[in-house]
Amino acid sequence: MQFKALLIDAYRQLSAAKLFWVTVGISVLVVVCYGSVGFNEQGISVLFGVWEIESEQLHSGSPWARGLYIGIFSSFLVKIWLAWIATILALISTCSIFPEFVHSGSIELTISKPIGRLKLFFSKYLVSLLFVVLQVAIFCLGIFICVGLRVGEWNPFIFTAIPIVATFFSYLFAVCVLVGILTRSGITALLITGVFWMALWSIQTSEGTLNRFVTEQHVSIERFNEGIDNAEKDLAEITEKSVDDFRIPKFEKRIETFNADIEESQELLGKLEQWHTPISWVLAISPKNAQTIGLLDRWLSDPDGFDIGAIMSGDMSSIEGEEVEEFDRTTRGARERETTRRLRDDYESRSLWYVIGTSLIFECVILGIASFYFCRKDF
Amino acid sequence: MIQLQDVEKMYRGKVHALRGVSLEVMDGEIFGLLGPNGAGKSTLVKIIMTVIHATRVSGTLLEKPIGNRKILEDIGYLPEHHRFPYYLTGKQVLHHYAALANVSRKDRITRASSFLSRLGLNGWENKKVGSYSKGMLQRLGIAQALMNDPKLLVLDEPTDGVDPVGRREIRDLLAELRDEGRAVFLNSHLLSELEMVCDRVAIMVKGKVTMQGTIESLTQDSRRYEIETEESVPTWAKEVVDDVSEHLMVIRSDDPAIIQPILDRLRRDQITILSVKPVRENLEDLFMRAVDHTDTPGAVQ
Ligand SMILES: Nc1ncnc2c1ncn2[C@@H]1O[C@H](COP(=O)(O)OP(=O)(O)O)[C@@H](O)[C@H]1O
Ligand SMILES: [Mg+2]
Repeated sequence: MQFKALLIDAYRQLSAAKLFWVTVGISVLVVVCYGSVGFNEQGISVLFGVWEIESEQLHSGSPWARGLYIGIFSSFLVKIWLAWIATILALISTCSIFPEFVHSGSIELTISKPIGRLKLFFSKYLVSLLFVVLQVAIFCLGIFICVGLRVGEWNPFIFTAIPIVATFFSYLFAVCVLVGILTRSGITALLITGVFWMALWSIQTSEGTLNRFVTEQHVSIERFNEGIDNAEKDLAEITEKSVDDFRIPKFEKRIETFNADIEESQELLGKLEQWHTPISWVLAISPKNAQTIGLLDRWLSDPDGFDIGAIMSGDMSSIEGEEVEEFDRTTRGARERETTRRLRDDYESRSLWYVIGTSLIFECVILGIASFYFCRKDF
Repeated sequence: MIQLQDVEKMYRGKVHALRGVSLEVMDGEIFGLLGPNGAGKSTLVKIIMTVIHATRVSGTLLEKPIGNRKILEDIGYLPEHHRFPYYLTGKQVLHHYAALANVSRKDRITRASSFLSRLGLNGWENKKVGSYSKGMLQRLGIAQALMNDPKLLVLDEPTDGVDPVGRREIRDLLAELRDEGRAVFLNSHLLSELEMVCDRVAIMVKGKVTMQGTIESLTQDSRRYEIETEESVPTWAKEVVDDVSEHLMVIRSDDPAIIQPILDRLRRDQITILSVKPVRENLEDLFMRAVDHTDTPGAVQ
């Protein structure tokens, strides 16, 4: 009954602040736009057929059409709408829940009721999250119906966006709650959460960039070593036949260059590791929101289909469906392709425990501090 | 109902707000705690309601140790300067806080309408509390405190911001509630208010209770008769009365037998008696006396 009372109260508070309904309205609009895209025998139709584009690959029934349609959801709607715009709107509408809650004059009324403070705190937290979940759920239901009607696939994995986005949001909301009850100011909570989010974003971006460079150096060293081996083998073969073949100096020169390159890479690697190692540790203990959202790609992608995320990152191999045959594995292009593949494998191989578990630990620590403060405070 | 021994509260920042407070509130009485601003009244109430943690506390509340949350179901509380969520209507406020106090839905519905009309808020139950006046908010606050049918009602400055008519209504309501068998613990700095309604009072100054008891017993010592005469007070008067001035004699006693011979003698001397008044110190005098003992009001820093 107490939980229900808090639930009703949160609902009334959110719906009194019109933003909640505005967000629901925009969500519905986004779903309607999404649903307005359809496929027919000739190609794609946008805005319920107002605009038709003919296409050979993208027509009803083609696997590419499915890939594109689900890809728009997992790459654009989730990554841009849910992970950014809707999250910002949700933070704005929920940031003042806790400051209002602990406002002097109203907290006394609540806290003097027969309900433990810890229970009160976590109920309030869950209730606030629940409304964000509700928003995402409405959105996903709309998407689910659109996908079902448009490409004939009733894909329940679309609903995995609900826990993922909720988890993602909860990392930020925990910080918002902590600041909110410490400062009793919604605006401060919102601003500091924003700063925190930017910090996370910087950490994740720099880790990603540094990781790319580090992997690149590893690949280079490996490939150059491979090149040296091959060159030495060839050299041995040639030398066996004739000691003064005109190609011998060329191979020797080649080995020399490889050695110099390896040295250079190793030096660079040393410098990069210096930065990458601490940053990857910081990342390990901080919430990984980009990777949390990225989980959705893993779960929604269709191995035979069309991967819009990969197209955006410039990797065509998954579309062409087969590995590019490399003639010379030491060229810059070959090394870059290998780096991209390894990076993707690296991030995809990070376990659920690493992505969500460590993020949740961070969240628990923040909530632990907030609830401890809440329980001890003299209001 | 409430038994407190030796309550201490030291706020962070070293404000020693309560310095060994002991008091007792009996069943079915209206108990008033009075004291100047900053004396620690609200602090004491908040400790009872578990809103703040005492540095040291012993005693019982409804026969249970202080700090037990379960008993809060039987206590109604109106905090000082309370603030209801602006987006709720009066009725929603009552339902929300009653639900938090584990009151069943059925009881909530019947009690909400009964207390709304009892507190004169008819016609306002579906209006947002943002549009209520200070006095109405205070009444709504009292209604809120009554929603769980409490055995003990704890009111922090219940008549704060209420007009004289409203105050009177609240006083009458408190008396009714007492007659229904509830104990009321209220705190106020408005003395006349307390005097009219309280069965017993405690005076708190600078975190200590300096006097406690019925108003009757507290003012016992100060009872006296004052005799006013038209002519100057005769010289013999100085020997028989406690205090004399030009036209006034003061006899410190509440026994009317003592003044009869004095009146006889004045009549015999042909002195015109303008008035004979039994005088009792009121709460204000008592209060001023208590505060004077401890010089300036305020907590010890
Ligand atoms: N949360 C708090 N932190 C620090 N000091 C406080 C706090 N609340 C009250 N005080 C101080 O404690 C003293 C008693 O305050 P209070 O109990 O509100 O007095 P009253 O209700 O009798 O006017 C005051 O000096 C006040 O400044
Ligand atoms: Mg006070």
